[in-house]
Amino acid sequence: MRRASWFAVVLTVLFLTPAVVLAGAAKTITLWYPAGDITAGAAHFADKNLFSEFEKKYNIKVEAVALDYDTMQQKIFAAAAGKNVADVLFVDSSWLPGFLKEEMLEPVADAKAKAWLSAVSPEIVELSDYGKGRMWGYPQYGIDVYGLTWNKTQFKDAGLDPEKPPKTWDEFREYAKKLTKTEGGNITRVGYAIRHVGHPHGVVHKHFWAIYGTGGALIDDPNRLRGGKALIDTPHTKAALKLILDMLDVDKSTSLNFPDPRAAFLKGIASMQISETVSIKARQPKEAPDLKWGMALPPVEKAGDKPVTLLGAWLYSVPKQAKNKAQAWQLIEWLNSQEKDFELCKQYDASPRYKANWEKEPFKSDPYDQGLKQMYPYGKKLPINLGLNGIMDAMGGAIQKVWHHEATIDAALAEAQRQADKAIADAAK
Amino acid sequence: MQPGREGEQSPRPASYPRRTISRLHSRHIFHAYLFIAPVVLLFGLFRVLPSVQTLLFSFYKVELLKDRLTFIGLDNFISLFSDEIFQKATVNTLTYVITIVPISAFLGLVLAVLFNAQFALKEFFKAVYFSPMVTSTVAAAMVWWWMYNPQFGIFNVLLRLVGLPGQPWLMSSHMALPSIIIFSVWKNLGYNMIIYLAGLQAIPQQFYEAATIDGAGPVMRFRHVTIPLLAPTTTFILIYDTILALQVFDQVFVLTGGGPANSTNVVVLDLYRQAFERYNFGYAAAEAMVLFLFILAVTILQYYYSRRYEVAY
Repeated sequence: MRRASWFAVVLTVLFLTPAVVLAGAAKTITLWYPAGDITAGAAHFADKNLFSEFEKKYNIKVEAVALDYDTMQQKIFAAAAGKNVADVLFVDSSWLPGFLKEEMLEPVADAKAKAWLSAVSPEIVELSDYGKGRMWGYPQYGIDVYGLTWNKTQFKDAGLDPEKPPKTWDEFREYAKKLTKTEGGNITRVGYAIRHVGHPHGVVHKHFWAIYGTGGALIDDPNRLRGGKALIDTPHTKAALKLILDMLDVDKSTSLNFPDPRAAFLKGIASMQISETVSIKARQPKEAPDLKWGMALPPVEKAGDKPVTLLGAWLYSVPKQAKNKAQAWQLIEWLNSQEKDFELCKQYDASPRYKANWEKEPFKSDPYDQGLKQMYPYGKKLPINLGLNGIMDAMGGAIQKVWHHEATIDAALAEAQRQADKAIADAAK
Repeated sequence: MQPGREGEQSPRPASYPRRTISRLHSRHIFHAYLFIAPVVLLFGLFRVLPSVQTLLFSFYKVELLKDRLTFIGLDNFISLFSDEIFQKATVNTLTYVITIVPISAFLGLVLAVLFNAQFALKEFFKAVYFSPMVTSTVAAAMVWWWMYNPQFGIFNVLLRLVGLPGQPWLMSSHMALPSIIIFSVWKNLGYNMIIYLAGLQAIPQQFYEAATIDGAGPVMRFRHVTIPLLAPTTTFILIYDTILALQVFDQVFVLTGGGPANSTNVVVLDLYRQAFERYNFGYAAAEAMVLFLFILAVTILQYYYSRRYEVAY
């Protein structure tokens, strides 16, 4: 009898131990982000200690997984369809329309969204608010703003003031002509490098400043989710495309042989380029340590016009199919708190998002951050329409056709207008 | 007399042996089906079922994440035939097929004829020509992407060395598709060569001897003996290469992504984009069905047309 009692006690202990251990064990949540240097905002995920404070405090383990950027969107979708997606997604905001079309994302709780929108700077509000205070995620710190970057040494060698970038399109063309170098009839250095290959969306991003700068747009209502009309075949867009076409054919100050503007700029074979300034800032110390470069808003069509540039961000978001939504939001809110914003921006040399943090050092007197602050008010984000992917494909395709002399400006934009309107109509069904 | 070995007497009734044979026969058939069952099951699960599902999806608006299918009849197909991007993708695909199939077949035959002779290091060179076939298409395409780079790529370096201007290759709407074709010919050449070599070595020597006796020279023997007797091999290569070419995807995805300006966009890449970037699964399914029907039609036509050239020996 005594033996039987002992046996029962041992069995009970053995039975209960795994449950006790499991109850005390940390829950694990996953976070997916893009691998490589696609966005400077993802570099910190490789830091193994990034989440250690959160993990200790909440007893939640965070597993950050890098995905290949080119197939990341498809992987997310396939994982969501298989109900096996990460709990937190760090995604490109231009993917948002596709995800919203499939009702894939959880919105940020109204109270949290309100608190965030009242505490952050205006450019962060622009990137966060998708109409009437609705948020689908929190934009990264160190947001992307597209700016003109120029090589100060090459400016000086060409007899240009290295501290004065071109302000108007006429100046832009003149500068580019002076900066271009040729050898034996071949261009060895372009005054301005253009992006004309790769994904059409990337082509549109790099030319957004010219399209919007002339008063143009991609769609009539940028905050309208369904329906609307594309604004591709307009005099504004024609002027924007003509600018670069003239630089290609008339000025010969740019070329199709320098397909990666940032790489060409960092290698010193392009004197100017327009893309995410944060990318140049992150890559220049490693790839071009001796490069002296400047940063400014892109040039305007004529003096007195208001500059426009593209604001972009990657978002921390939670998919509806996530298995640990509460913990996922806990992580996102911890990562995007005012204290963490200051700490991480200081650690990773990125621009903060909270108004209060902008008043603190080093951001208050850092020349790069203050330069960005001057540019932010002129930034616009991409439209939110569900047909955005189709609009961008059409616009990017048109730009490529024109610069590759496959079609005239009028024909290319007319075709793109038809395709974009069809994409809007199909997405609205 | 009972069936069985001579001298043996079966203790069982006369009808039993027939039933035994019938049962053995049934068990034999059952075992045969059992052995092929795994493959049939896997084939059904991963080939037939998805194909049937694709056919069904093509008549629906498919919202996978919402678990919703909405029947829309032929709307996807009607939309498809007025889609300018799909039309361009079809033209690009056909251009690719019409160029790569005869070139690959012709070069494969030339190499096979060369390798049919005996010479030093023949096996080594055969391996060299076949090695692209066993290389991953994606890995090879990534290397070729760098080789095509206008500033640093080896092709332009070599062109400049001989005094010719560098070419834009993949950066040009006009040159991007030919550049992909060059890569694809390099990649598939070895396979055609091996198939043709097998076909050449299967031709009985007496035909060549008879032709030689009749006074036919090497060119005449090649034209009137080799080519006709290689007809079955040529049929196979043309059909196989055409099917593969119509489904081209990997190298286009890696080398150009369908650009610049949709100049290398092909049907499979377009349906991939519709499915995984625009989440239009029904529309993508319609594209897949159109491609399937087209491949089927071309294959049937090629097969019946080539039958008139078949010879038996």
